[in-house]
Amino acid sequence: MLSVWVIRNFLLIGDEDSCWDSTPRLSTGEEGSVPQTRQSILRNRLLRAMAPDDFERLQPHLDPIALQLREVVIAPDAPVDELFFLETGMVSISTAHDERRIEVGLIGREGLVGAVPVALDCTTTPHVFFVQLSGEGLSIGRDAFCAAIAESPALRRLLLRYVHTLIVQITQTAYAHASLSLEGRLARWLLMCHDRSDSDELVLTHEFLSMMLGVQRAGVTLAIQNLEGAGRIRAKRRRIEVLDRGKLLALTNGSYGTPEAEYARLIEGA
Amino acid sequence: MPLYFFHLRHGPDPNGLAQDLEGDELAGPEAARDHALAVARDLIARVRLHAVRDWFSCTFEVTDEGGHLVMTVPFSDTVTEEDED
Repeated sequence: MLSVWVIRNFLLIGDEDSCWDSTPRLSTGEEGSVPQTRQSILRNRLLRAMAPDDFERLQPHLDPIALQLREVVIAPDAPVDELFFLETGMVSISTAHDERRIEVGLIGREGLVGAVPVALDCTTTPHVFFVQLSGEGLSIGRDAFCAAIAESPALRRLLLRYVHTLIVQITQTAYAHASLSLEGRLARWLLMCHDRSDSDELVLTHEFLSMMLGVQRAGVTLAIQNLEGAGRIRAKRRRIEVLDRGKLLALTNGSYGTPEAEYARLIEGA
Repeated sequence: MPLYFFHLRHGPDPNGLAQDLEGDELAGPEAARDHALAVARDLIARVRLHAVRDWFSCTFEVTDEGGHLVMTVPFSDTVTEEDED
C-alpha cells in the first residue's frame, strides 16, 4: 500500500488529467491463468531496454499500480520498501522543506522511482517523491529487486547507468536555476514534461508550475505570456499546448538535452 | 473568504498585463494588499524574467471575483513601506 499525503500548499486540478483510462492494460494473461506482464507491450523505457532474461527475473514480482495525483510514493526519511517503474504519468523529486518545496528532478516512463537510494544501498532518502501527473506503473518490492540485481551484473549496470542519467538531470536543474531566466527554466520544464507525456497538451495550473519552479505564481503567469507571445506555446485555462519545441529549446541554453542524450546513449545504445 | 485576482501590469499596452485566472483566497482588502506586497518583494528579490526589465515599474491590479478593480499596488510600494518601518 502506498501512503497518501496531501501536500501542503499544493493546489492542483482534479482528476481530468488521469492517464488511467487511456492506457493499454498491463496484464495480458489468458482468462483463468495468472496474468503476466509482457515486456513488449510496456512503455517504461528501462523495462523495455533490459535483456529478456533480466526482465524475466523481475516479471513475477511486478504489480500494476495506479498513481494518484499528489500521492507521495516515497516519503522523506522513510524506508524505501518499494520501487516503481512508471508507465504513464510523472513523479517529482522535490526538496522536502515546509516553506518552499522545489522540484529538483523529474521521473516519467523513462524511469524507476526509488532507483537512487536502492542502487546506492541507502534505506531512506531526505527528498520527497510525489505524483505530479497521475498515471500508472509497476511496483516491485525492494528485496525482490535487490535479489535480481545481485544475480545479474547486466541488470545492475543498467540500474547504475539510469542513476547516472538522473544525477546528470539534477545537475542540469541546478545549472538552470543558477543561470537561466524564468522563461528559460519554464521552457526546459515544459520540454521535459512533454517528453514524458502522450499529448502536446499538458494539463497544469499556474499554481502548480509556481511550486515546481519555486517562484511566485505571478512570475509564472508572466513567463507563460512571454512564451505564448513568441508562438512557442498556446496557453489555455489549466492547459499549455506545446507548439514549437525548437523555439523552446533555444531558450534553455544547453540545460535541456544532456541527460536525455546520456539516457539514449547509455540505456538504449543510441 | 473572498477570492482576489492579482493581474500583473508590466507594460502600457494590452499585452502588458499578465492576467491571473486562478486567484487567491484572502480575508479582505488589507490581506490582499499584504499578499501583493509579499509577492512583489519575492519577485524583485529572486526572479529574473526577460519580459520584465525593471520590477519597480510593475504594478499589481487587484480585482475581486466580479472583475472589479479593488486596488492597484505598485511594486515601488515595497520600498516605501519598508522605509517607514
